[in-house]
Amino acid sequence: MSSRTTDDDPAGDGSAPTGSPPAGSAPPAGTGRSGERFGGLDTLLRFQSFFGLVLVFLASVVFSPRGDHGEIIFLTSENLFNLVRAISEIGIIAIGLTFVILIGGIDLSVGSLLGLAAVGSAVLLTADDYGVLAAIAVVLLAGLVFGLLQGLAVALLRVQAFIVTLAGLQMARGLARLWSGGETVPIIYGSGPGEAPLAFSLLGERTFNGIVPVPALMFAVLAVVAVAFLRGSAFSRHLYAVGGNEKAARLSGVPVNRVKVVAFGVCGLCAALAGIVHAGQLNTGSPNAGISYELDGIAAVVVGGTSLAGGRGSMVGTIAGALLLGVLNNILALNTVDTDLQLIIKGLVIVAAAALQRLRPNR
Amino acid sequence: MDAAPPLVELRGITKRFGGVLACSDVNLTVRAGEVHALLGENGAGKSTLMRVLSGDVTDHSGEIRVRGEPVAFRKPLDAQRAGIAMIQQELDLVPALSVAENLHLGREPRTARGTVDRRRMNARTRELLRHIGVDLDPRRQVGLLRIGEQQLVTVARALALRARVLIMDEPTSALSGTEVDRLFSVISELRGAGTGVVYISHRMDEIGEVADRATVLRNGGVAAEFDARSVTAEQAAAAMVGEEVDTTSARRHRPPGEELLSVSGLGLRSGGCDDGRREPAGIDLSVRGGEVVGLCGLLGSGRTELLEALFGSGPSARWYGQVRLNGRAYCPRSPGEALRAGVAFVPEDRRGSGLTPEHSVTANTVLSVLPRLGPLGLVSRRRERSVARRSSRRLGIKLGSIADPVGTLSGGNQQKVVFGRMLLTEPRLLLLDDPTRGVDIAAKAELYRLLDEVAEQGIGVLLASSELAELVGVCSRIVVLRGGASVAEFDASRTTQAELLTAAMGSDPDQRDSPTTSVGGGR
Repeated sequence: MSSRTTDDDPAGDGSAPTGSPPAGSAPPAGTGRSGERFGGLDTLLRFQSFFGLVLVFLASVVFSPRGDHGEIIFLTSENLFNLVRAISEIGIIAIGLTFVILIGGIDLSVGSLLGLAAVGSAVLLTADDYGVLAAIAVVLLAGLVFGLLQGLAVALLRVQAFIVTLAGLQMARGLARLWSGGETVPIIYGSGPGEAPLAFSLLGERTFNGIVPVPALMFAVLAVVAVAFLRGSAFSRHLYAVGGNEKAARLSGVPVNRVKVVAFGVCGLCAALAGIVHAGQLNTGSPNAGISYELDGIAAVVVGGTSLAGGRGSMVGTIAGALLLGVLNNILALNTVDTDLQLIIKGLVIVAAAALQRLRPNR
Repeated sequence: MDAAPPLVELRGITKRFGGVLACSDVNLTVRAGEVHALLGENGAGKSTLMRVLSGDVTDHSGEIRVRGEPVAFRKPLDAQRAGIAMIQQELDLVPALSVAENLHLGREPRTARGTVDRRRMNARTRELLRHIGVDLDPRRQVGLLRIGEQQLVTVARALALRARVLIMDEPTSALSGTEVDRLFSVISELRGAGTGVVYISHRMDEIGEVADRATVLRNGGVAAEFDARSVTAEQAAAAMVGEEVDTTSARRHRPPGEELLSVSGLGLRSGGCDDGRREPAGIDLSVRGGEVVGLCGLLGSGRTELLEALFGSGPSARWYGQVRLNGRAYCPRSPGEALRAGVAFVPEDRRGSGLTPEHSVTANTVLSVLPRLGPLGLVSRRRERSVARRSSRRLGIKLGSIADPVGTLSGGNQQKVVFGRMLLTEPRLLLLDDPTRGVDIAAKAELYRLLDEVAEQGIGVLLASSELAELVGVCSRIVVLRGGASVAEFDASRTTQAELLTAAMGSDPDQRDSPTTSVGGGR
C-alpha cells in the first residue's frame, strides 16, 4: 500500500512559460519517513487498548480461581459470555459516546437516558399495552430526539457540550422519575391488559442452545456495524475532520453543524438501546437505572485510546476498552476482591491508559 | 554620537529556516533614547530579527551585545533579564484581572500576614502609569479596557520589569487615531527617559512622526538606512521592494474569458467596527475566466474579509452591495454552498484553518469530495487513495507515503495539499489568501506554475497577497484595497511594486481607524 510518488507523469504540460525549471519536479525521492511510523513502540501505542486487553486477559487466566476439576473458571464459556453480557450496556453506550468524543464533544446524559429508556420500555409495555416492536421504536425515537436536541444546543447555541449534556443528565433523570411516578416499574409478562408480551423477555435470555446471552449478541452485532461504519463511511471522515480541526473542516465544505447534531443523535440512540437492554435483563424499569454509567462509558472510550480533544481514536479501540474493563471487573469479582479496592484498581487502569496516550508522538 | 556603547548592538545576525535565509548578516544598533524604525515587506526578516533579539530564536550566527557586553540568550527570559522586552501584537494580558494585578503578576507585594498588599500594588501601578503619562485606574479590569489602553498596560508592564529596550511590532495596527496619538506621546516620554525602542510598522506617516532612524530590510538583509525624519514614502517603498529580478513572472497572455465574478459597492461590516466616521465606500472588482486578479492591501484593509464573504465563511459578517457569479446573484451562507456554486478557497493560515495536521495526507486531500468516492455515503479506500495519489502527483507534492500525517510535510507541500483539495472540487473561481506565506522559494515557483495551469483551464483566480512582487509577477490586474474599499486598480504589466505600496499605504491619516482586532482570550 505504500506509495512513493514518482514522476512518471509530469503533471505540467511541459511548457512552463517562465523557463524556470519547475523546481522540485524531480525530487530526490522526497523526504521518506514512511517506515518510521511502523516502529515497535508506535505500533504498540496505536493498538494499546488491544494489547492491554490481551495482557489483562492473560493475567486473568493466570490469576483465575480453579474449579473442582482444576479447570480455569475464567475461561469457561459460561463465564466469558457472562462477562460480555455484563459489559453489553456500557459497551453500547461507549459506542455512541465514541461518535461524540471523536468530534471533541462529551455526553454526560447517557446514564440518565438509559434510565429514561428503561422506564419508558416498562411503562409502554405494561401500562400502555404497546407491542414489543412499537415500544422499542418509541423508546429509540425518544433517545434519538433527546440526543438531536442536545446536538442542536451545542451546534447552534454554541453552548459547551459538557454543560448542555450536564443539563440533559438532570432533565432525562427528571423525565424518568415523572414517567414512572418515582417507582420502579415491574415488567410482568402475559397476554392480559397491563402485561408485557413474552417476546420482550427474550432480551434476558440466551440463544444458540442457551449459550449466547442476547444482550451480548446485540452488543457484538452493533460493534461490528459501528466499526464498519467508522471505517467506510464518508460521515466518519467528517467526524474526524470536525474533531481534528473544526475550522479546516468548515472551510472544506463539511457541514459542521449537521455533523455535530447527528453525532449527538447517534449517542442518544445508543443510550436508549442500552436502556431497553437494561429493562429486558432486569424485567423492570427503574428511574434510578444507569446512574454514573456515563462515566463508565467515557472510561471505556478513553481506555480505548480515543482522545477527548477529538479527531483521534477508533471504534475498535472503544470496544477493546469496554472489553478490557469488563475482563478486569470479572477477574476481580471472581477473586472476590473487595469492591472498594476494585474501584481503586479500575481508576489506576484508566489513568495508566490515558498516560500511555501521551507517549504517542503528537504531530 | 555618544561615548557610551549603544544599548543593543546586533552584529552579522544570520538565521536560516530550512532552506530559507530569513536573516543574512544583519547589523542593527539601538541607542539609549532612540526610536529605531524597522521597515520591510512580509518575509523581509523583521520578525525573525526581533525574535533573535528577544531570545526566542537562539540558533543563529552573529553576535548580540547589550551595553557593549556580548551576550548569548538561550531563552526569552534571558533577554528579559537583560532588559529587552517585546510588546506582542497579540496582547498577553489576563483579561479577568485588574491593571495592577496584571502588572504585578507573580510578583505581588505582600503584607505582613502574607496576603496581597493591594494598596501598595495599586499605588505602585499608579506611579508607573503616571511615569509614562497615562491616566488609568489600576483597579480597572483589563478585559474591559480598549485595545489601545491594554497596549499601554503592556508597555507599563515592560517598564515594571525594568526594560531598557522595547520592541513594538506594529503597535498601531489595531488602534484608533486618538489612541495612536496617546501611544506616541508615551513613546516620546520613554525616549526622554533614555529607553531604546525598536518600532516595526508599515505606515510611513507614523515613521516620520515617531522614529529617529529607520532601517529597511529586504530578503533578510539590510537594504537601506535612513534618517526617519526626512525619508519620503517613495524612498522607503523603493528600498523595501528593491529592483529585484522578477523571478515570479508566470503570467502568460491569454484571452480573458467571460466575466465570472462581479462585485460592486460591496461593503463589509463585522459588528462593532463601525465608528461612523468612515463613509461606507465599497469594493468594486470583477474576475473573468482564465484571469488572475490580484488583491493588494495592508493588514485591516478588508482583504481577508472580502475573501471570507465570497466563500461564505465570514464570522456572520453583514455585507451590502452586489455580488454576481456567472451573472446570477451570489450570496453564500456557508463554505459548502460556495463550493457547490463552484467557488473554492485556500486560506491563509494552513495549519490553523487549512489542515488537520495529525491526519493523513489522504484524509486531508479528499475531504471536500467524499461523496464522489463511493455510493451510499461510503468511501472506497482504494478510490480514496488513488485520488489522493493522483492529486499529490499532479501538484508535485513531495512525500514519503500518502498515509503520513500531513503535519510532517514541509510548509509548501502542506499548502499544496490544501490547494489540491480545492482543485478536486473542480471550481470555476479560486480564491487564495496569501498562499505563499511562509513557503520556500522553490515551492513558491511551483505554486505559481500551478496557478498558471489553473488559469489556463479557464478558472478565474482572485489572489490576495502581501507580497508585492508576487502580485506584479503573477496577476494580470491588481485591485488595491484600503480601509474596506477598493481605492485603485492597476494593469500588472504597467505598474511597479512601489506604486502599489504607495496606493495601499495611502497618506490619509484617517486610515488608522481600521477595523479592530480582538484581544486574545476574550472575556
